[in-house]
Amino acid sequence: MRETPNFAGWQATILHREDSMTDRLVRQLRLFGCSVTRQWHPLAAEALPDIILVDADQGWDGLLPWTGAVAPRPLVALLGSEAPGRIAWAMQQGAGAIIAKPLSISAVYPALVMALAIHRERSAVAEKIEHLEERVRLRPLVHAAVQQIMAARRVDEHHAYTTLRNCAMKRRMPVEQMAASIVGGAEPMPEAL
Amino acid sequence: MRDAIKIGILYSTTGPYGSMGRDAWDGAVLAIEELQHAYAGRIAPEFIDPNANIPDYLDGARRLLRDRGCRHIVGTITSLARKEVLPLVEKHDGLLWYMCPYEGFEANENVVYIGGCPNQHLLPVFDYLLPRYGNRPYLVGANYVWGWEMNRLARELIGAAGGEVLGERYLPFEETAVERIVADIEQRRPSFILNNLVGPSSYAFLAAIKALGARDPAFRPENCPVVSCDLTECELSDIGTGVATGQLCAAAYFDSLGTAENLDFKQRVAARFGASRRISSVFACAYTSLKLCADAIIAAGTDEPLAVRRILSAAPARTVLGPILIDPETHHAALPFHLGRINDDNGFEILTSQTAIAADPYLTGRHRRTSPQLRVVS
Repeated sequence: MRETPNFAGWQATILHREDSMTDRLVRQLRLFGCSVTRQWHPLAAEALPDIILVDADQGWDGLLPWTGAVAPRPLVALLGSEAPGRIAWAMQQGAGAIIAKPLSISAVYPALVMALAIHRERSAVAEKIEHLEERVRLRPLVHAAVQQIMAARRVDEHHAYTTLRNCAMKRRMPVEQMAASIVGGAEPMPEAL
Repeated sequence: MRDAIKIGILYSTTGPYGSMGRDAWDGAVLAIEELQHAYAGRIAPEFIDPNANIPDYLDGARRLLRDRGCRHIVGTITSLARKEVLPLVEKHDGLLWYMCPYEGFEANENVVYIGGCPNQHLLPVFDYLLPRYGNRPYLVGANYVWGWEMNRLARELIGAAGGEVLGERYLPFEETAVERIVADIEQRRPSFILNNLVGPSSYAFLAAIKALGARDPAFRPENCPVVSCDLTECELSDIGTGVATGQLCAAAYFDSLGTAENLDFKQRVAARFGASRRISSVFACAYTSLKLCADAIIAAGTDEPLAVRRILSAAPARTVLGPILIDPETHHAALPFHLGRINDDNGFEILTSQTAIAADPYLTGRHRRTSPQLRVVS
């Protein structure tokens, strides 16, 4: 890691009943430059903090305002239990790191750094998958455009695809979009290369 | 509280950092003798020497905390040893007094940090060096967390300054084969060299750089200084008088400080250890840790860590390092910064100083000064 992770100015929320452990957690988070709020009721979806630490021993579905494993914010689970159901709950919420109870203060910073890195990695992967899914969805259009070029220009499939791809590159647009324009008649049939 | 005040002292007087351990041990001995006198024999020290063997640190800490009834341990030099004993200190709700400069990123409630983290040593060193020597350093270090993390931070600082790190090399503890590193330095011609080596590796490296400077003036200290954040008076005679002359080092204390407290301190050290004894920051910080510890326990009326920490954070204590106040959040001392240049007399000429800098162990920038209060003192 080249850049020193810095949480100065971050808003952190601890979802946990107030106790001496959360007192220590608040002090340590403030040391990192975070402003900290503590609550033991569901988080509002419209005002999410920058990072969330949740009690995975007693947390319930609906405490965090999202479903699905890709949490919209970095999430750290506070976990004393070894019960598989509780570990599963933490993972279902999208936790990227666990801080074991009782709290060892040296576990807090590493957990924040790891949860942040996992969150960024998952967000990037989700974005990439979305992009690839879009391309797969438009694949029939590419196929149709290639068939039309083959028929119109009397070239083989490989040649037709190269023609389509070069055309898209010249226009600086994705192949799928170029194909849609050709099939829809918005673009003239390109000349074979 | 009328019971004896038990304080554990855990330093290795042998091994690669034995010089530092012996100096820390002596600093502790002097403090104990003065405390015995001041508190009429109520101070009961328990000395343990783990001989630089990591499992023996754990065993020593266990004996101090469990068998000998110490709640306070002044000790450990390396981060490796500190991290080894910390879980045990936490378990017994004790307090570890750590007094060496270290790489930061720690703020344990069961530790009092007297040694300083990078915003108290590395950052002001770079503030001083970059405008004067350039921003193309070469980084060397001991192959463990101190070397790795100091060099990682250095790389980040150099990147932010638009400079370039010309090389980064590591040596295992006690490895003295420095020829390949020095040959690489000769070829790459850095602006300065950041030295995070420890013990014999560091001594061999400084000797090789001295030889390089004799062949090529570009590598003399005035042109390409070697700067360290943990090299002290106690090691200069091991390096060899004159070998490291002109090289630079940062510390919170130097023997050559001209304060009234230090002049008085030097007289007491001379009376106990002889007039030729040079006092290192290791000696001064171990001494200071014991004094702060015992005084705070007496003032609190208990050796309970929370009560002791409250005393330490309530008002600055007068010490040979200057007034020392422990931050109640970071558990670190605010420390003065001095940059010294090694002289031919196994001491340091102080080039520049800053008044106490609050520790920022996680480098959040909260305590970063907008304009450093640099003051030339010689």
